[in-house]
Amino acid sequence: MATSDTIAAIATPNGSGGVGVIRVSGPACKSIAQSICKVLQSAAPASSCTGQLTALPQRSATLTDFLGSPAEVIDTGIVLFFSTPNSYTGEDVLELQAHGGRVVMDMLLQRVLSLGARMARPGEFTERAYLNGKLDLSQAEAVSDLINSGSAAAARAAVKSLQGEFSQRVHALTEELTNLRIYMEAALDFPEEEIDFLASEEMHQRATSLRRNFAKLLETTRQGQLLRDGLTVVIAGKPNAGKSSLLNRLTGEATAIVTDIKGTTRDLLRERIQLDGLPVQLIDTAGLRASQDPVEQEGIRRAILAIREADRVLWIEDINQFDIEDDTARIPSGLLAGIESQVSEVFRLCDLLINESASMVESRAPDKERMGEAKAETLVVDLVLNKTDLGSHDAGLFSLDERLPLDTGGFLRFERCIKLSAITGEGIGLLQTHLKQQAGYDDASEDVFIARRRHIVALESAAKSLEQGFSQLENQYSPELAAEDFRLAQQALGEITGEVSSDDLLGLIFAGFCIGK
Amino acid sequence: MNYPDKFDVIVVGGGHAGTEAALAAARVGANTLLLSHNIETLGQMSCNPAIGGIGKGHLVKEIDALGGVMGRAADAAGIHIRTLNARKGAAVRATRAQADRALYKAFVRRALESQPQLTLFQQAVADLTIEGEQVTGVTTETGISFSAATVVLTAGTFLAGKIHVGQANTSAGRAGDPSSTQLAERLREMPFRVERLKTGTPPRIDGRSIDYSNLESQPGDEPRPVFSFLGTRDDHPRQVCCHITHTNEHTHDIIRNALDRSPLFSGEIEGIGPRYCPSIEDKVVRFADRTSHQIFIEPEGLDTPEIYPNGISTSLPFDVQLNYVRSITGFEKAHITRPGYAIEYDFFDPRDLHASLETKAIRGLYFAGQINGTTGYEEAAAQGLIAGLNAARQTKDREPWSPRRDEAYIGVLIDDLITRGTNEPYRMFTSRAEYRLLLREDNADMRLTPHGRELGLVNDVRWQAFETKQLAASTLESALQDYWVKPGDELFAKLTADNGLALNRQRRFSELLKMPEVKLARLLELAENEVSADKQDYSNLSGFSEAVIEQVEIRAKYAGYLGRQQEDIDRSRRQQEINLPESFDYSRVIGLSNEVRQKLLDTRPDNIGQAARIPGMTPAAISLLLVHLKQRNQLAAPAIDEAATAS
Repeated sequence: MATSDTIAAIATPNGSGGVGVIRVSGPACKSIAQSICKVLQSAAPASSCTGQLTALPQRSATLTDFLGSPAEVIDTGIVLFFSTPNSYTGEDVLELQAHGGRVVMDMLLQRVLSLGARMARPGEFTERAYLNGKLDLSQAEAVSDLINSGSAAAARAAVKSLQGEFSQRVHALTEELTNLRIYMEAALDFPEEEIDFLASEEMHQRATSLRRNFAKLLETTRQGQLLRDGLTVVIAGKPNAGKSSLLNRLTGEATAIVTDIKGTTRDLLRERIQLDGLPVQLIDTAGLRASQDPVEQEGIRRAILAIREADRVLWIEDINQFDIEDDTARIPSGLLAGIESQVSEVFRLCDLLINESASMVESRAPDKERMGEAKAETLVVDLVLNKTDLGSHDAGLFSLDERLPLDTGGFLRFERCIKLSAITGEGIGLLQTHLKQQAGYDDASEDVFIARRRHIVALESAAKSLEQGFSQLENQYSPELAAEDFRLAQQALGEITGEVSSDDLLGLIFAGFCIGK
Repeated sequence: MNYPDKFDVIVVGGGHAGTEAALAAARVGANTLLLSHNIETLGQMSCNPAIGGIGKGHLVKEIDALGGVMGRAADAAGIHIRTLNARKGAAVRATRAQADRALYKAFVRRALESQPQLTLFQQAVADLTIEGEQVTGVTTETGISFSAATVVLTAGTFLAGKIHVGQANTSAGRAGDPSSTQLAERLREMPFRVERLKTGTPPRIDGRSIDYSNLESQPGDEPRPVFSFLGTRDDHPRQVCCHITHTNEHTHDIIRNALDRSPLFSGEIEGIGPRYCPSIEDKVVRFADRTSHQIFIEPEGLDTPEIYPNGISTSLPFDVQLNYVRSITGFEKAHITRPGYAIEYDFFDPRDLHASLETKAIRGLYFAGQINGTTGYEEAAAQGLIAGLNAARQTKDREPWSPRRDEAYIGVLIDDLITRGTNEPYRMFTSRAEYRLLLREDNADMRLTPHGRELGLVNDVRWQAFETKQLAASTLESALQDYWVKPGDELFAKLTADNGLALNRQRRFSELLKMPEVKLARLLELAENEVSADKQDYSNLSGFSEAVIEQVEIRAKYAGYLGRQQEDIDRSRRQQEINLPESFDYSRVIGLSNEVRQKLLDTRPDNIGQAARIPGMTPAAISLLLVHLKQRNQLAAPAIDEAATAS
């Protein structure tokens, strides 16, 4: 079967290694190489969009900068090009070899995808090789096995990468979109009913709500709190509970200290670490204070925003201050309430500081709005009971599952309690695993990361269709075109949450409205 | 006795599927016999007296574009014609007509009787004659045997039909006609999956007993839309008005109090009814918060006072029907001429069919219409046309033809049926089509008439009309490319004044057309007497017909969206071209999950494209099929691949 689409994937198994390879196969290889490899652009001026690749020698390595945009270098590495039919798949094949860090590989892959390739399915390179006659018959069984095992692994990865908040929000959005489509499709297919679906207040509310929630999720995705940038974790607690030693232990244990990509200096409040490739931003609340230095003020302002939008709080207490039995692991009453009042205290301090900086720089007003929004939500807290080494305590992890209202609005949800020693390192592994799990990152396999990239691609394509649909509805009032855009959006989301067929949709229409003569 | 003449195609049944099947087979040159239990009921509208509607109007236009009779019959019989969704976009606009039953039937009968190569015969069919796995003819209830190379079965609701009115039920094909019990029994012995479906009708009312004074009236559209691409408004008979009334709380109370006497709720009826066409008792129960439901009062014809109250179909006992009907505004003194009833009937799982509508189990045997689980005259007629065509083609050893999903609603209909099957009477909706913007009423001729011509379905008259229209459209399109409007032209000022267009520079007419505010008809009207500053004469922009102007305008407005769909269409077309042999052994494909394997076995898709559309199919499973297929072909290549030649 002749293929017209171009596929891409990270071809190296584990991204934390020295070199990572992105493999691309299909007709768009040349134009992708042209856009990404700086060495080709200097040879052929950007104005010539003929796709001529005279400067790229075939089947030989060329050193080049990989460009994220004309101005931005993602990495420096090696490019290889194999022309059809003399390649692994039999199609044009492009290989980009970069420094294997997971974030770099993902950025590079994202760039390739944005230039017209799509994510390859597991085994798809080999499948193309086979279908193009590049593998002989004796290998066919192996291809079947590969497709099969690959798809099972992909399914597992997709499930894993879809744990937690992100997945819940995507599912909620899919449902909202489906509900909106019910109104659209009912309006188009049942014009003789007494309800004017398009004019109905409910439909407009649904559209507005969907639009808002989608924008929020996309912003989260783009900010990369849960994905690209990993977790933002606030470390808080009383003095001497062991905040600094925990911070040191976590950064010390980390595989690498990553400097800020954009190149700003490390600020007082924040540390960036990686847990097996998962980026984690740690924020120490101890640095919160009023300051006259504008640079420091800016740092504090950013930290406060991060606190408000943090994925979770690690609240540190000295386990020896409480009467806690190891076997029952019961938390003394009053401890959680005490934490709540201190978190409220931190928030009040934040508000104070933000107001100060806002009074100095007027354009900061939107920050306050954002904070107001964040306030109404739930902040997740893990209680860390430190210094197990000083008493007769063992390290351990157990669930709390308590919810308390915050003085300053919103809720605190106490999720886990982790007993550890920051000094000896006992129990730190439990904390690290827990944090990785919360980011849907418990498995260090590359698959999960790839599954995530798939989801982001799907979300972005859905977002594009949705926006087009909304503008059709608003500006030109072409409901059938808006319906087409919404259908495409749903198709894109379907990559994440599964297909919603036209029959499903009709079923929902008949269940929801009294339709028919 | 054995009837002495041999036929190429025998069509069993004279409803909407049967008549289109017989006409199509005869049109392409097959010697065709149409067998009906009653010649007087050929082309009968057994349910409501209307043709078209959303999705259905699209089907009628497609049937017409392939030379079928339904569009022209609807024009000849349409006594109240409207365009639904007129204010929405072109893709979802649809024509609907109330049809005079007698005029409709008469038109179809004339078409049948004037069709060369077509023979009519009145006999109920009792059995199919089958040799091996090949059909060879039919035997009637009186013992006459007809032989033919192919048979198209269009038995509608007649197979083991059972009518319910309250607790009483009788065996019948529709009110007043016997059911086909013998044939149903024979078919149940054959290797087809059989299920039961149900549908219903409302009580009919004598219009003279209705008080229209307080009812909302609903006139048809002016100017009247026309169904057939060959039709004109002059084909239409005298037009009448429809009316609308509503049920009320009292009506609902009467129904609620009688539910224990409804066969629908007592479990008497086992067949599944259509969700979009629920009986009134169903509506009252499922949507208990609604205090009123609308009823369309549709005239049955110009020469009869009978009306069809659309919206209150029922299987309740007659006394309850009379009570609730008389509780409705305008119906206080209504006289019911025929009681409403529900009918249950056999249908065959359409996954046992190829896209040609030939059964997979018996060669030469085709199924079309309601027996495939559909509902509606239009759905039936569409299948009839395709089945009749392919039955005829088979007798001449020609490849079957069936439109793809991106070519026609007929393609969507057939593909949905054979791929997904159905568990309720299947009705067409535009939301079923993923290429809705492409599959429009206005371009049905463009999509299908060239195919129809090649297949021999389209005669010279239709072909010439089509070519003339296409030539005009492309002339207009290139003219729009050639002309400019420039600042300083009078036309420029007029356009700005007309709809507040903020034109800031010179534009081609074709660019103007892409703006949502610009309507082509109006643009041409404004340009008609203008000459631009640089002496462009717009005069050869005039004289185009409404249909041509509409066509050109829609193409321009949808261009962006249609372009985006093309890639999708190309991919599915490539997949559609990879055949899966009938003998394909799914148990030998390593790595398929049991669930996916079962789905493949249930449908036995004809090609990879169809396999990919089975609900729940995964890309990995399709990959496995491709790999296995290639492996199989390579293995089989040296030997004779019987499967490949068979498919």
